[in-house]
Amino acid sequence: MAQAIEKASPSRSGAHTVIGSSIVIDGEISGDEDLVIQGTVKGKISLKESLFVESSGVIEADIDTANVEVSGQVTGNIAASDKVELKTDCKVVGDIRAPRILIADGATFKGNVDMEVREHHKGK
Amino acid sequence: MATTSGSTIIGESILINGSLNGDEDLTVRGRVEGTLTLTRTLVVEPTGIVKAEVQVKNCVIAGVVVGNVTASESVEITKEGRMVGDIAAPRVIIVDGASFRGRVDMGDLELPRGERPSRPAISRPTARPALPPRGARAGKKEEAKAEKAAPKGPPAPPPAVGMGAVKKKVVVRRK
Repeated sequence: MAQAIEKASPSRSGAHTVIGSSIVIDGEISGDEDLVIQGTVKGKISLKESLFVESSGVIEADIDTANVEVSGQVTGNIAASDKVELKTDCKVVGDIRAPRILIADGATFKGNVDMEVREHHKGK
Repeated sequence: MATTSGSTIIGESILINGSLNGDEDLTVRGRVEGTLTLTRTLVVEPTGIVKAEVQVKNCVIAGVVVGNVTASESVEITKEGRMVGDIAAPRVIIVDGASFRGRVDMGDLELPRGERPSRPAISRPTARPALPPRGARAGKKEEAKAEKAAPKGPPAPPPAVGMGAVKKKVVVRRK
């Protein structure tokens, strides 16, 4: 599993943003591109693309993105317009709201799950 | 993994508002606002904008930095770099084409301090003969003592001092 992440990360880091394992951010991150987090982020994350929380990544923040892929730790509410994927060995505490939610075998999760896409219905 | 974990990249469309701390190299192509503290190198690329109090080991500015930069090693503003703020670093490099407004503090410059005391010592003997009102000043005991003490000290060293000593002796005789 870890190898799969390692293979995937260089291609991600080539074009997109990477927050390295020793980095601690306390505040707000926003943007229109993919974000790979190997370090620690506290506060808030707002993206229009995908968020990847790798196994060394620790997030204490509310997340608002299109896609979220969690292999590390997340404490906070996750709202995704497309998909949330909790991978093996991840730890997530908080509510998840997204039309598609995948929880893999071995993932640890505590919180509410909401797959009703209220915002989309309201928008239409 | 080693390559990616060793350096962090903030992409062009990313805005980070708050504090950012770390022990690895950081490349900024987007925006960072707040405070930025690293134990290694910060590279602000041409698309990067940093509006923050920056504390790093090395800093290379090819983009825009607004705020004070403190570096334990060096700060370099490249020809594309623009900066407004104060720089404090032992090595500061500003190349041709760079834009900068602010103060530069390279710390305590020890070499000039060592030279300064020796320079006045050389210039004093030449300055003393130039003082005209010897007679008036001779009345003051303090100055007379000081002038007596001066010739006693440097009898052996250079001829320039010897010249000064001769003139002082003349003053004493008048008195």
